[in-house]
Amino acid sequence: MGVVAGLCVVGLGVAVVVGLVVGPTSIGTWRVVGSAFAHVGLGHSTLTSLQSTIVWQLRAPRMVLGLLAGAMLAVAGGTYQGVFRNPLADPYLLGVAAGAGLGATFAIVNVGNGVGTPSWTPLLAFVGAMAAVIVTWLIGGRSSRSGAATLILAGVAVSSLLTSAQTFLQQQSTGSIARVYIWLLGSLASASWHSVWMVLPYVAVCVVVCVAAGRALDVMSVGEEESRSLGVPVRQVRIAVIAASSLGTAAVVSAVGLIGFVGIIVPHIVRLLVGTSYRRILPISVLFGAAFLVLADTIARTVLAPSELPLGVVTALVGAPVFVLILSLRRPVAV
Amino acid sequence: MSGVELVALSVHVGKKALVSDVSLVIEAGTWCTVVGPNGAGKTTLVETIAGLRRPSSGSVSIGDVSVADMSDRERARTVALVPQHPVVPDGMTVYDYVALGRIAYHGLFRPPSVADRRIVESVLERLTLGEFRDRDVATLSGGERQRMVLGRAFAQSTMVIVLDEPITGLDLRHQMELLELLKSEVADCGLTVVATLHDLTLAGQFADRLVLLDRGEVVLDGPAGVVVRSGELASRYGMNLRVVDVDGADVVVPVRH
Repeated sequence: MGVVAGLCVVGLGVAVVVGLVVGPTSIGTWRVVGSAFAHVGLGHSTLTSLQSTIVWQLRAPRMVLGLLAGAMLAVAGGTYQGVFRNPLADPYLLGVAAGAGLGATFAIVNVGNGVGTPSWTPLLAFVGAMAAVIVTWLIGGRSSRSGAATLILAGVAVSSLLTSAQTFLQQQSTGSIARVYIWLLGSLASASWHSVWMVLPYVAVCVVVCVAAGRALDVMSVGEEESRSLGVPVRQVRIAVIAASSLGTAAVVSAVGLIGFVGIIVPHIVRLLVGTSYRRILPISVLFGAAFLVLADTIARTVLAPSELPLGVVTALVGAPVFVLILSLRRPVAV
Repeated sequence: MSGVELVALSVHVGKKALVSDVSLVIEAGTWCTVVGPNGAGKTTLVETIAGLRRPSSGSVSIGDVSVADMSDRERARTVALVPQHPVVPDGMTVYDYVALGRIAYHGLFRPPSVADRRIVESVLERLTLGEFRDRDVATLSGGERQRMVLGRAFAQSTMVIVLDEPITGLDLRHQMELLELLKSEVADCGLTVVATLHDLTLAGQFADRLVLLDRGEVVLDGPAGVVVRSGELASRYGMNLRVVDVDGADVVVPVRH
């Protein structure tokens, strides 16, 4: 555990530096580091004003948004896997993705009149995501004796319905299909300090809630009835962590679109490294997910520069082989 | 004293009554076993005593406090449950599993205190689980596993333990060992035990009192020797039963028609 945590912190540091230094415009690593120190009043920056803008107005917010999105998606995935005791659970389980997709498509197709991606796409995506989760909860989570399976099935139903509505909207307006797809595949390209400040409060609170729930999720691995007999208020815990995971995911999705795979693959890799206790899985997933997404984004924006690969493509392309490798080296997954 | 009192207890699911109008007073420090054919409502009854089901009418109280009025934590400090099919989480160690019993004391946001850990240690020792403490729970044999589940219940430090078919799937020696362990807790610590058992011979040997349940109703309630020897028992199971005295113990034997 200690070693893995240490490695993740180092990886996070590397990701931060790589996120700032690597790019089509070559700027020396130490000059970037020097400029960082200059920001906190140590020494002088040797960057030109253009370089400074590239590093601190383009790369830095993009890197920070990547950290936030990676941390949130990974911890939300781990939390969902714990609370539903289902290894296939991911942050989009309860309809967040489909709801956000519908909201964003509506904004792009209608509000933007098919031209450009309107600035309030994130807001509509966020509203769509939260509405989808609330509807899923109203269908599947209200009755005190209905189990987690009911909620998952409700999520599947709501997702299907909203996805078909989204496809319907999208096909009506062929001119904007490309922009809808770019949004759906996820990208950090439009990151700005504004989007960082929009997402940060949600992610901060939701990550804390999820990580704090680790001990409760460990107990709940013995199932609902037994957890209750051990004194865990299962229903309250479930509402709290599902609300936190969904809210945080909705905030992230509204800013960066649908980045797949992080939420399912990162917690599983971490589980293979540190064991099955959520007290370890969740905090390590925060670090691992943050570093992983920033590094994946670096690949996404450099491989085909000046054009960009969708981030979801990279997370799957890098994540899947790593996952398969670790899986074949270790024993089968257990949740 | 933490005796268990059921007053006109009924549990319905939809319109079907699983338990109807059961009234029992189980004295503290005694062992009461509920017997009856499959579908008699035994599991529903013990789950309701453990607070996992709400009574449709009537009440369950332990030490004069209604179980339905307790918070989850209070209840877990009052009554422990050994379920019929415990979930065994892969990857958890035996120590961590037994320590789950202390959650109701240290809570969900704080680590176990020194006192909590000391209690877990003493439980591991009492149940001779010490050598398994770091083993993955999924690797235990049936007997070891059941002892571990009992350990978690002991770690809850309750005065009442409810067990649903605790010896299913165990070989004869492990069945006896587990029941002897419980019996010594009843004798030494004044533990109150409410159990369901299918084995009428063992039920009769270990319980102070047997309650025969059929279709959710109490048919017979009395000292083990009396209930085992009553004709009612055979007729409720719909079969021929013989009771043979072997060295002073009642052995219940089914006989073919």
